[in-house]
Amino acid sequence: MDKTAMIEKAEQMIAQIDDLPTIPAVANQVLMMLDQPDTKVEDVADLMLTDQVMTAQVMKMLNSPVYKPTHEITSLRRALVYLGLSHIREIALTTSFISAFEKDTGAFEINAFWEHSFGTGMVAKVIAGKIGYNDLEKAYISGIIHNLGIVFLSTYMREEFKNLLESIKGRSVRMIKEEIARFGTSHCEIGLCMARKWNFPEAYCEVIAFHHTPAEATIDPVLCSIVNLADMFCSVRGLDYGGNEWVSFDLHEEQAWQILRKESPELMQLDIERFCYELDDAIPDVQELVRSIFNSNNKTGQ
Amino acid sequence: MAISDKDFELLRDFIYNICGMYFHSTKKYFLESRLNRRMEATGCKTHQDYYLLLKSPRGSEELKFLMDEITTNETYFFRNVPQLNALENKLLPEIVDIKNKMGFRKLRIWSAASSSGEEAYTMAMILNEKRSTLLKNWIIEIIGTDINETVIAQAKEGVYNAYSVRNIPDMYKRKYIREDKGLYILSPEIKKFVTFNKLNLYDDNKMIFMKTFDIIFCANVLIYFDTASKSKVVQHFYNNLQPYGYFFVGQSESLHGVNDKFKTVHFPGGFTYKK
Repeated sequence: MDKTAMIEKAEQMIAQIDDLPTIPAVANQVLMMLDQPDTKVEDVADLMLTDQVMTAQVMKMLNSPVYKPTHEITSLRRALVYLGLSHIREIALTTSFISAFEKDTGAFEINAFWEHSFGTGMVAKVIAGKIGYNDLEKAYISGIIHNLGIVFLSTYMREEFKNLLESIKGRSVRMIKEEIARFGTSHCEIGLCMARKWNFPEAYCEVIAFHHTPAEATIDPVLCSIVNLADMFCSVRGLDYGGNEWVSFDLHEEQAWQILRKESPELMQLDIERFCYELDDAIPDVQELVRSIFNSNNKTGQ
Repeated sequence: MAISDKDFELLRDFIYNICGMYFHSTKKYFLESRLNRRMEATGCKTHQDYYLLLKSPRGSEELKFLMDEITTNETYFFRNVPQLNALENKLLPEIVDIKNKMGFRKLRIWSAASSSGEEAYTMAMILNEKRSTLLKNWIIEIIGTDINETVIAQAKEGVYNAYSVRNIPDMYKRKYIREDKGLYILSPEIKKFVTFNKLNLYDDNKMIFMKTFDIIFCANVLIYFDTASKSKVVQHFYNNLQPYGYFFVGQSESLHGVNDKFKTVHFPGGFTYKK
């Protein structure tokens, strides 16, 4: 199906929703501040600290074994210095996105969805490291947000999406095909429209739009490929939120694998088997991170 | 003796690099208890001592004892559920589709190192269930081979203990297993699909005749072979597999560095190899 038509359809779907979540006030102020020239990390930190929930989320996201910082990050200020000014925008947006969808009102268990998202972030960062991609934080954040469109479907098209999940149970079909058949669009286009509405930077919008078809990406096909593979590996190694039950993939036939191999020929030497087994081992860390972000209001990071 | 995380990782990496078997973190206490037995037998006081023993010239002999402790040499029906699910729901229908198009309605499956037959008979049960649907008018041929004649005789007999049958789903158990004084007897309806033969995987002259398989299983055997033997045996499996077929190893095994021709195909909870 034509991508433009699918994007139009997605826009229509989003336009019909009256109570779309908006970016929290503090995040909005952070974003505005970042648009000013000469903004200092310290000023952004002071502003973010007025929002305890956001502060706690940022600290948890960055201190988790899932992210593996080189040393423990003890204050928000340090966290932001560590990330660099360029990533504060995404972190602010990502935490806003998480807060917007933390309630379990959708078609599936929201914790499982976030486990998949943070798992994808973690694996994306590992793959990015293996191929020498220059921005590991970007890979991590991209992984967390890649399925923005899915939470939209699950929250605002609850019954339809539930039926869809039910219909593919035990069948070997990719969920995205079924979405297109039923909605005339998919979570990729829906996510893209939402991300644009929220002013996510273009490179992130592209990941959301092309994480299933990385060869179509133009800004950063490598990043889209990283997220694509991370997404698939998580789906088959126990970090799945339903809907991919009988997915199987032949790694060498995936466009993402071919793109990344071109980027980094050493990837051929990757011990894929061990990579999978280590991913199994990391699942409890991912689950713990998600639990800590969503199931407590622990206020840290002063 | 409790094993530290550092020693666990050290020994896990050693076992993985030599044997191609990965110990998940969840298996730490299992490995710890098995290591303790071997440490006692060899007089090693610390895990470091035992690690050094494994790395010494005597190491390869000791590693065999350790692997015996680890694999316990026992098998059971429906052992690798994710593998069986993927086969039943995805991989088998694909193979059947390809062969239907070629007009070649025969399925050939090989359980290499079949031991007492549980793996081969598990496949027979699953496939027999499909004989009125997916596999209607198909010929099903399952071959089990092992180097050990005693286990081949057991496999042919088809009588099992409670441990072996504990994982069989009720639906299959009711249909194909009969209990008699604590023994579990397999129905002739299932037995008839499988033939068992003696075969040494090292025997090149015989290995080249094991042709045209759609699915090959070889679980928890290659871990005992050195790298050169492993490569040779796996190359045979590669040659003996149909272009659209699949080669399965055990749940935590890896062929990394053994054969660079096989490609990985991933499914929920596992992966398999394809040409």
